This record gives sequence, C-alpha cells and structure tokens, in this order.
Amino acid sequence: MTPDKIEKLPFEERLEKEFSKLPEGWIVLLETDTESALKVSLAAIKVLTNNGHTGIILSASRPCSNLLNLYKKSNIDVKKVFLLDCVCKSQATEAQDSENVLHLENVSALTNIAISINKTTEKLKGNRFIFIDSITTMLIHNKPDVFARFTHSILTKMRIDGLNGLLISLENETNKEVRAEIAQLCDKVIKL
Amino acid sequence: MANETQKKSLENAIKKHERGAVIMMELPADAYFDKNITSIKILTELDFDGIYISFQRPFKNLFSLFEKQGIDINKLLFIDIATALGEHEQEKHTRCVHISPNIDIDELVRAIYTSLPKLKGKKKFIFIDSLTTITLYKPLSETMRFSEFLVRSVKKHEVENVILVFNVAKDLAQKKFIKDIALRVDEVITVVQ
Repeated sequence: MTPDKIEKLPFEERLEKEFSKLPEGWIVLLETDTESALKVSLAAIKVLTNNGHTGIILSASRPCSNLLNLYKKSNIDVKKVFLLDCVCKSQATEAQDSENVLHLENVSALTNIAISINKTTEKLKGNRFIFIDSITTMLIHNKPDVFARFTHSILTKMRIDGLNGLLISLENETNKEVRAEIAQLCDKVIKL
Repeated sequence: MANETQKKSLENAIKKHERGAVIMMELPADAYFDKNITSIKILTELDFDGIYISFQRPFKNLFSLFEKQGIDINKLLFIDIATALGEHEQEKHTRCVHISPNIDIDELVRAIYTSLPKLKGKKKFIFIDSLTTITLYKPLSETMRFSEFLVRSVKKHEVENVILVFNVAKDLAQKKFIKDIALRVDEVITVVQ
C-alpha cells in the first residue's frame, strides 16, 4: 500500500515551475487578487522552505500567531521561517518575541524594519529569502515615494548579500506608479 | 520577435544620428531589466563601448547577469549608484567606477566625463538604466539638471559620437518631468514585452 501523498497547496505546482527557471539571487513580484493572496503566500513559502531555503517573512497583514498556525496547517516547516511581525504591537496586542518571531512597532517604522531585516539576515544560513507581505498593505501606511525608496534600498541590499526576494502585491489595489517603480526592480513578475 | 523589433528601432535611431544621438527607451515595467539587457547586447554587438549608470541594481548583480547573457564586460564601465545611494559597501572592481555615498549630480557627471576616455572603442554610449529611480533619492531639480547636462553635451558634440540612452518604465512615462525630457531627445523608442 503506497503512503498517502501530502496534498499540494493551490499554486504550489505553478510556483515550483516558475522558481526553478530563475537564476540565483532572484527577486520576484507576485501579483494576485485579494481572494487568492493568502493561498499564494502559503504556496510560495512552502515551495521555498521545501527546497531548503530559510526565510524572513515581513508581515504587514497578519499577526504572527495566525501565520504560524496557517504554516503548520499547510505543512510548512516553521523552523525555516523567521517572522517580522508589524501587526501585533500596532494593535496593542501582547507581543512576545521568540526564537523565530520579532515584533516591530508598526508598518510605518521603515528604518527599524530595514535594520531588523539586516540583523535577522545575518543569523540565517544557507539559501535565504525575504518575503514582503504585502506591498499593498504597506502602502496604506506609508507615503508612496518613501515606500518605493525603502523597497529599492532593501532590494539592493538583498542583491549585495545574495538573498532571494519575494514581494506580493494585490492586482488593481496597488498604486500604479509605485507598482511600476517596484516591478522594474524585480527579475520577474508572476501573475497568479 | 519583440527583441528583433527593439534591435531594429535602436539600429535605425543610431543610423539616423551618426554623430551622436539622445534616445529615450520606454520599457514595460514587468520586463524592464530584460529589455535593458537586450539594449546593451545590441549596442555592444554594434561595436559600441559604454558606460552603464546603474540606479537600480548593484554592480555585483549586473556583472553576474551580464556575464550569463554573454555580454562582453570588457566593453563596459559601470557606475554603481544603487549601492552608493543605499550607503552599502561598494565592490572594488576594475570595471566599476567608485562613486561616493554622498553622491551629488556634479560628481556623477564628472565620473561620466572621466570614464568616457577610458573606453577603448571609437563608438561609445552612456546608458542610464532608469530616469525615475534617481528621483527616489534626489530632488527632481537635480534629475532634470543631470539629464539636461548630458543631453546638451551630446547634442553640442562636446563628446563625439556618443549615444545617450535614457530608460523609463512605460507606466511612468507620463510623469511631467519625463515628458519634459522626452521633448529634448532625438528619438523615443517604445519597447513591447
């Protein structure tokens, strides 16, 4: 009797194919609709962690407890992810840092976010990725030009340090000009 | 097919203005760097040597990707503004011109002028990877001053036989300052994905 296959997440197969075609040190913009955004995020993280990557997830949308729960349910190895949570503290929720969670003040604290990303990156070994979830949410809380500059700086640092990058954006919900400023910095735009 | 059209458009523009040309390339944001690479391939295959001014990507990334694409790096000098603007440590390499982190436009123009004679070929180009990325860090007036200075130098043949290429994402080409610069160029080439 053959063992049960672990069911793949929606979008997982498509993302496996897309990521396999990319050169090392890639940065990708994932573009999707509101309904699919969570599924796309989970699938992307699963594909990467299954392929030996360790990742920093910058979460502007969901608190860490919710994310860790979702990751476990999706068979994502949570030991391979480090969460930068921009949600809990800003909601005055009790925010306890742990081995793989760091709470940041809020989504607008871009300098602090950049510093935290750098510090966390140094702790991780091997193939690493940074996942910004999501640029649409971050733009609600930041001026477009300031956010574009932040993104450019982060992506430059990723490239210098040889990290892979994922940014997720909601189609038709993101400021068109900022979307173009960010898309042109990426190696590929994947629409799902 | 799209790359063939890009090649034809660029070749025609260069032929029309043999003593030097200012070209604006409007590129699809979703394939921006791919199209930049295509332009560099075309220019180097036409025996141009050039200066690649990078506001978007650090030298390390460009060098690796250009090599993978079979572009002759010895025909290029890179000015890595991206790394300088982010105040990260710049790579030391013979093909990479050092620029200070407190970069100002005057220093950038000086770097371009002093790099041009270092190019071995008779035919030269100056390639600005993005007109809009610089405005994330510098006032608009500085971007305008920078572009106007370069355009004037090429058109007045202060630098001989130089092709100046400005790149901008199509979705950003309607910005007022881009339209102002477009009025001053010899050709605007719209590249499709």
